[in-house]
Amino acid sequence: MDFGTVELTPEQETFQKEVRALFDEIVTEEVHEHERRTGDGFNEAVHLALGSRGWLFPEWPVEDGGAALDRVSQRILALEIARYRVPTVTMGTTRLVWAAVELSCDPELTARLKPEVAAGRVRFCLGYSDPEGGSDIAGATLRAVRDGDEWVLNGSKLWTTGAHNCQYTFLITRTDPEAPKHKGLTMFLVPLDSPGVEIQAIRTYGGERTNAVYYTDVHVSDSHRMGDVNAGWATLQGPLSAEHGAGRPDDGLSDIAMTMGTREFEAALDAAARWAKRTTRPDGTLVADDPAFLDRLGKLVVDTEASWVTPGPMGRNKSSLSYIDGIAELVDLVGPEALLAHGADGAIEDGVIDFAHRFAQGTATYGGTTEVFKGMIAQHVLGLPRLTLPGSKQWVR
Amino acid sequence: MERFELRRQDFRLDEDQQAVREGFGDFFTKQVPSSLVRDAEPLGFDADLWQRVVAMGATSMALPEAVGGDDATLVDLVLVAEELGRVVAPVPLISHVVASRLLARVGGADELVAAAAEGERIVTLALQPVVGTNRQLVPDAAVARDVLAWTDEGLVLHTLAEPAAHVPNQGSTPLAWFDPAAGERTVLATGPEAAAACRAAYAEWKLLTAAALVGIAQSALDLGVEFAKTRRTLGVAIGSLQGVAFPLADVVTEIAGARNLVQKAAWYATHEPASRPELPLAAFVHAAHAATEAAWVSAHTQGGLGFTVEADISLFFLRAKGWSVLGGDPGQDRRQVAAALLATV
Repeated sequence: MDFGTVELTPEQETFQKEVRALFDEIVTEEVHEHERRTGDGFNEAVHLALGSRGWLFPEWPVEDGGAALDRVSQRILALEIARYRVPTVTMGTTRLVWAAVELSCDPELTARLKPEVAAGRVRFCLGYSDPEGGSDIAGATLRAVRDGDEWVLNGSKLWTTGAHNCQYTFLITRTDPEAPKHKGLTMFLVPLDSPGVEIQAIRTYGGERTNAVYYTDVHVSDSHRMGDVNAGWATLQGPLSAEHGAGRPDDGLSDIAMTMGTREFEAALDAAARWAKRTTRPDGTLVADDPAFLDRLGKLVVDTEASWVTPGPMGRNKSSLSYIDGIAELVDLVGPEALLAHGADGAIEDGVIDFAHRFAQGTATYGGTTEVFKGMIAQHVLGLPRLTLPGSKQWVR
Repeated sequence: MERFELRRQDFRLDEDQQAVREGFGDFFTKQVPSSLVRDAEPLGFDADLWQRVVAMGATSMALPEAVGGDDATLVDLVLVAEELGRVVAPVPLISHVVASRLLARVGGADELVAAAAEGERIVTLALQPVVGTNRQLVPDAAVARDVLAWTDEGLVLHTLAEPAAHVPNQGSTPLAWFDPAAGERTVLATGPEAAAACRAAYAEWKLLTAAALVGIAQSALDLGVEFAKTRRTLGVAIGSLQGVAFPLADVVTEIAGARNLVQKAAWYATHEPASRPELPLAAFVHAAHAATEAAWVSAHTQGGLGFTVEADISLFFLRAKGWSVLGGDPGQDRRQVAAALLATV
């Protein structure tokens, strides 16, 4: 057991300074303003700057476009990325898809893409959910039909976040409608500049932009198929299990929880704490001296502490659900000022609580809903029997 | 607060810690069947079991070597306390160990510390400072002749001729009223250092009780899960139904977080006590909530059967609140946790 600070080597200290110096320079107010305006979870200049230093895949050897960082330096980089609020959504999906590309893609294509992905010029998004499917991604209906050396795609996907900033989507398709649900799926790495691909923006009140992507007679080369035909579920499992928090080295240098939104919640808590120290009630008393305020705030702090240490998929639920509950409570504690928008007269710390309240709501849905995770926890942690429904094994439309 | 500090997040137990967990886990599981817990009611004390707990080294392990201990840490103690909670063992180990460690820290009662280490004398502590002549309920005071309390004069040891009278209570604990005028009074220590040692002892008591509550919660959950796997309705196991399974999934989530928060708090209290003094309180708040929820959800999973005295879940339900409430309203701990945040922003 060890929660101690990590003693840095001179090289690691230099690296930390280098990261901070770069982020001071490139993660400007303009970058944050761009993120508030677009909700992209991506900034091309920042992404390319990271790529040019090998920091998109920092664990890779330098000759592959990485930075050959040791584990401590990787952690330094991750913490500074969080501290500086570098937009990371597309960074995350690209890394996730790459794991599947390396496992399942045509070697020639893989070799061609690797330096581009490392440099940040090629990026990936997730073409998982059908409009009717939500978290049940194995129920995909988007059809892929073989046509010689090509496949023809027809259908649509929702929640393809970052599609407008990516070159390829990691697409799950139905190739055999007659086979059992999980056995008629095939994965493709589809170039998003293909004729017949149409990307439409969807806005969330969390401030994010995601997309609906429509595929109309889209032709994709068989060389972009990933894994075997009708073996798409296996192709998908690798990166999906990475998304669910498996396969990390056990050296105490990773978060043990897959937290959702805890950083945003903490930023709001810190802002509310500072607000309480400078704000008086109408009767002249300081909010910070009000025991009822402290009692309710303390509950929220305990929830963030618990979120960080609740392991794996359970931490995903703890962090998201306690954030959604807690941020609503925090808004009550602060009052109308809490919901003043960025730039409004009197907005608390640029509207950080307003943002956190809106942002919280999506965290219970993306990456698989909290209900999907409760099902996984019931089955895999508690060993409860699996619920068998008509669509569990068969593809039900 | 420095939210981005580079620290390890390593929850792995080393070999010695695993041995402590397994050793005490085996011991409590074998020595404390639910019938023993029931037989010890309503006092909540089994003298024979206490002797066996002492023989396991539980009363001496976390005392300094100089006074006959093994210098075990709070990390070791939370592992023991969780196993104790899993079987709701009717022994006053938590109060006794915390009070013994406080005695050893402030010094001046060597004979008593030695007797406490051997389990020959049971020691406890009042968890609230004494105000005037107000009496207060003190955990385990119905089996302890020696009670430590913080007063206007400093840390006072009260030695009574007999333990105070037991007051029956929901958690079947050896609770008793403590009268600050009672017994032979010895002022052991005064001043800010002694006050700090006393506050640290309160936090230790809450931390170890939090660990026991995690154990209670886990056992409560296990009973509910086992029932949900085997009980059938409408042709399926009830545990396959989301309305039954999801609350249980929420409970295991709370327990897993509480267990880790307890261990993290124990690590900080051992290695960097000044860095995060509020963590034991946060762990107590979380564990108290987890235990309450686990006991209720598990009892409810078992339907009417879970509401019967006969069902073992009753033992855990009654103690989840009956043990946690001894530490007072978690609201006071939440306020301290919030105050710690305000002090750092």
